[in-house]
Amino acid sequence: MHILPKGAVRAAALMLAAAITASPGQAHGVIGQRFFPATITTDDPFAADELALPTVSRFDHETDVEFDYSKTIFPGFAIEVGMGHVNIHAPGEPRARGFDNLEVSPSVELYRSPAHEFILTTGLEWEVGGTGSRSVAERSSTYTPTVKFGKGFGDLPDSLKYLRPLAVTGTVGYAMTGATSEPRSIEWAGAVEYSLLYLQNNVRDESFGRLVSHLTPLVEFRFSSPTDGSGTTGTINPGLIWSGKYIQLAAEAMIPVNRASGHGTGFIAQLHFYIDDLFPHSLGRPIFGGHK
Amino acid sequence: MNLRVLACALACLAAPASAHAFLDHAKPGAGTVLQVAPGSVMLLFSDDLQPESGVTILDSSGHSVGTGRVMITGNCIMAPLRRLGAGKYRVVWHAVSMDDHRTQGAYVFEVKP
Repeated sequence: MHILPKGAVRAAALMLAAAITASPGQAHGVIGQRFFPATITTDDPFAADELALPTVSRFDHETDVEFDYSKTIFPGFAIEVGMGHVNIHAPGEPRARGFDNLEVSPSVELYRSPAHEFILTTGLEWEVGGTGSRSVAERSSTYTPTVKFGKGFGDLPDSLKYLRPLAVTGTVGYAMTGATSEPRSIEWAGAVEYSLLYLQNNVRDESFGRLVSHLTPLVEFRFSSPTDGSGTTGTINPGLIWSGKYIQLAAEAMIPVNRASGHGTGFIAQLHFYIDDLFPHSLGRPIFGGHK
Repeated sequence: MNLRVLACALACLAAPASAHAFLDHAKPGAGTVLQVAPGSVMLLFSDDLQPESGVTILDSSGHSVGTGRVMITGNCIMAPLRRLGAGKYRVVWHAVSMDDHRTQGAYVFEVKP
C-alpha cells in the first residue's frame, strides 16, 4: 500500500475542486481559432477524449510500445491511463523486458482564453508503483503534480502575420518518488509548432491541398532536472504531425542533449484517435455534464 | 476471440460519426489580393454544418458589409456580396458541425482599386 505525499493529496483536492467549477470546454485541441494537435512527447493541455495506440519509440538501446487513453469525466476534466511494454538491450548487459507501471493522470482545465488562444491546465501524474514487471518497473510510486499550458500566436499584429501560425505548449511538474534512494526532480517539457492549417485558413491561402495543409512541423523537448544537482537529462525531438478528421499520425527524431541523456538519435511515432469525433454521441462525450 | 475483438473494433469505427468542421477551402482565400470585387464569399468545410453556423464580412473600419441571405448547405457557407469598393475586408466565420462541435476563424482579403 502506497501512501500519497501531502503535496499530492493537496494537488488532487485542488483539481477536484476546480473540476466542479470548470467551465464547459471544447473538445480535442480547439481553442478560439487555433487547433493544437496532440503532441507525442509532451502531454498537451487539453482534457479530451482521445486514444494514442500505439506510441512506439526506440532510443538508447530501449524500445517502448505504449498506449494512452484519456476520458472526459466532466467538460474540462479528464482522466488518462497509460501503460507500455519496455525492451532494454544494452550492449554487454542482459536483456530486460516487461510491462512498465500503470500511469493514471487526472487533469483539469483551469482557464481558457479563445481570443488569445490560451489554455492553462493542472494535473497529477501518478505512476503506480508495483503494477509493472519487476525487471523494468519501479516498485515505488511516483507522483508528479503538473501545470500545463498552450498558447497560439494568432493575436499578433498584421506586421507579424506569418508568425501567427506559431504556437507553444509546455508542462512543468515536480516528481516525488516514494523510493528514498531516488531524488526528486523537476520534469519540464514543451513544444514549438507551426500550423500550416492556420497559415492556409487565417493568414494566406497557399493552395497547399488537404494533405500538406494538415501538417504541423514542430520541435518538442523533454527534460528531467533532479533536485540533488546530478544533472539535467533529456531529448530534443524535431518532427511532423499530420492531423486528419478522426486520426493523426506523428513522427519525431529523438536527439539527446548530453551524454548522460543517451547515445545516438532515436525516433518516436504515434497513431492517435480523436474519440470525441469518432463517437460524438457515446464514448466521446463527458460522462457528466456534456451537451447532447 | 481475437478476431471477434477485431471485428467489433472495426464495426465501431465504421459507425456513423461526425467531426469538428475545419475550413477546407475559401473563395476568396486568406490573404488574396483581387483586381475585381468578388460577388460572394464561399467557405467549404471538412464536415456538414448546422444552420447555427454563419459568416460576417467586415470592412477595414470594422463595420459589417451588407450581404444577401447567407446560405448554408451541407458543408458550404455562401454569402452573396453587394459590389465592394477597394479596401481590405475581414471574413469572420463560425461553424457548428453535426456533432455540435464549434470552430471559428477569420481572415482578410483585399480588393485593389
